[in-house]
Amino acid sequence: MTPAVQLDGVQVAVAGRVLLQVPHLVVQAGERVAIVGPNGAGKSTLLKLLSTGLPAHRGQVQLLGRGVAPQRLKAAERRALRRDIGVLMQGLHLVPRLSARSNVLVGALGRLRGADAWRSLLHRYPLALVDEADQALAALGLQDLAHTRADRLSGGERQKVALARVQLQGPQLLLADEPTSALDPAATTQVCNALLAAASGPGRTLVTVLHDLTLLPHLATRVLGMAQGRVQWDQPCTDVTPALLQQLYEPGPAKNHH
Amino acid sequence: MWVLLYGVLVTASVATLASAGDLSLGRHPWDNLLKTAAEFARPSALDAWFGPERLEYRSDDGTLLRVENRREVEAAFLHALARASWVTLQIATLGSLLAALLALPLAMLAARNLHAPRPLALAARAVLGTARAVHTLVFGLILVGIVGLGPTAGVLAIALHSMGTCGKLFAESIESLDMAAVDAVRASGAAPGQVFFHGVWPTVLPQFVSHHLYVWEFNIRDSTILGLIGAGGLGLLINEAVSLFQWSRLATLLLVVVALVMAFDAVSRRIREALL
Repeated sequence: MTPAVQLDGVQVAVAGRVLLQVPHLVVQAGERVAIVGPNGAGKSTLLKLLSTGLPAHRGQVQLLGRGVAPQRLKAAERRALRRDIGVLMQGLHLVPRLSARSNVLVGALGRLRGADAWRSLLHRYPLALVDEADQALAALGLQDLAHTRADRLSGGERQKVALARVQLQGPQLLLADEPTSALDPAATTQVCNALLAAASGPGRTLVTVLHDLTLLPHLATRVLGMAQGRVQWDQPCTDVTPALLQQLYEPGPAKNHH
Repeated sequence: MWVLLYGVLVTASVATLASAGDLSLGRHPWDNLLKTAAEFARPSALDAWFGPERLEYRSDDGTLLRVENRREVEAAFLHALARASWVTLQIATLGSLLAALLALPLAMLAARNLHAPRPLALAARAVLGTARAVHTLVFGLILVGIVGLGPTAGVLAIALHSMGTCGKLFAESIESLDMAAVDAVRASGAAPGQVFFHGVWPTVLPQFVSHHLYVWEFNIRDSTILGLIGAGGLGLLINEAVSLFQWSRLATLLLVVVALVMAFDAVSRRIREALL
C-alpha cells in the first residue's frame, strides 16, 4: 500500500524564516498519528503543508502516492487531491449565512459528478446526501440546529459542524488541528468518536495536532514530538513517557533561555 | 501631511475666488431670497382645489385678455406630473437593474481577492472607474444624440454611470469576504463554480441587494434631473418651470421628488433590515 504521507528533505520557509525542517517522514495509510509540541514548534505548519495549503520550498512531498512538490499540480489534479484530504483547521471557517446543514453538505461538493454537480450550484443535493448530513449532525448532537445559520452557532457548535462537513467529504487523509480546543468534556468525547468514525475504513489515515495530551491514547497510535521546527522524537503511543513530553515542552535552560 | 495639503487647497480656493471677485452674493440677496421663498411657500398644487375658478388676465388699460380656470389648469398639471413621476420611477428602476447586471461580472473581475487574470482585472477596473467619473448627465447628452430623445436614453445613461458605482460597491463587498470560509469550501475539493455559489454568493448576496437599493434610491433623484436634457420624466417639467420662473410649480415638483425619495428610502430600509 502506498504511504499516505512521504516527506524527503523538506524545508518550509516563510519570508526567509525556516519554519519547518523534515529530513524524512513516512506515515503509512491507516495510521493514526498525533503531533505534540509547544507553540511555534511547527505543528500547524506541518499540517498546512500536508493539506497543500503551504508549499514546500525545498524537498519532495508525496501525499496519497501523488507527488505534490517540487512539481506543480494542474488545477484538476489539485482539486482531486483536496477532495481526498479532509482538513479541520482552527480558523477554517463555515460559510456564515448558510445553515448548519448546508455547511455540512459543502463537504460533499467534491464527490458530486455530472448532473448532480450542476444541480449543486442551485444548492440542491441528492436526498441520500441530505440524509447523510442529518445523520452526521445528529451523531454530534446537533440535530435541532440543522436549519440554524452558521453565524448564530456557538464556537463549539461550529467546530462540530466543521467536523460533520469533513465527515461528508469522506477523505483518505484526515488532518485535524486541535479538534477539541473549544469543547467541554462531553462534547470532546462526541468529537473524538466522530473523528475516529470519519477516519475508520480501509486505508484511512488520521493526523491530529493535540494540546490535550489526555486524548493521545484515544486518537493516536503513534506520536511525533515537535519543537523548533523539527521532529524531535517519533514513538508509538505506548512508549510516550511523561519525561519525553516534559523534555519537549520545557527544554534545558542552557539551550533556549539567555 | 494630507491635512496640511487639504488646508492649502481650501485657502488657495478661497483666495483665488475672492481676488477674482467671484465670491459675491449678487446685488439684492435678501430681497431675492424673500421673494423666492414667498413663491415657494405656495405650491401650485393647492390651486387645483383652492384656486380661483375664474382668473382674469387684463392689460394695463383694463381690457380682458384671457380667462383661466386655475383649478382645471392645475389639475391637468397634476395629471402630467403623475405620469412624469411614473416615467422617472421607470427610468430609475430599469437603469439600476441594468447597471447591477452589467456591474456584477466587472466587479468579480475587479475584486482583488478573486485573483482574476491581471489584464482582465485592470480592464474591468478601468471601465468601472471611467463609468464612475462621467456624470449621468454627460452620458445622457451623448446618448440622446445616439438613441434620440426619450426614456431609453435616460435608462441607458443611468445604467452606464451607476454601473461604475455598483461595480465598486460590489467589488468592495467581495473583497471584505471572510476568505477562510471560501478556502474551506475550496479545501473540500469543490470546483470553481461550486466555490463561488457556496462560498462567495451566500455571503455577498445580501450586501449586493443592499447596495443595489442604495444606488436605486440615488437614481430616483438622478433621473429627475435627466429630463433637463430631454430624457423624459420629471426633469422635463422642472426644466419648464425653471425657464418660465414658475416657482410655485417648482415647489410642487420638488415636493413630489422629496416624497418619492423618502417613500423609497422607507421601503428600502425595511428590506435591508429584513436581509440582515
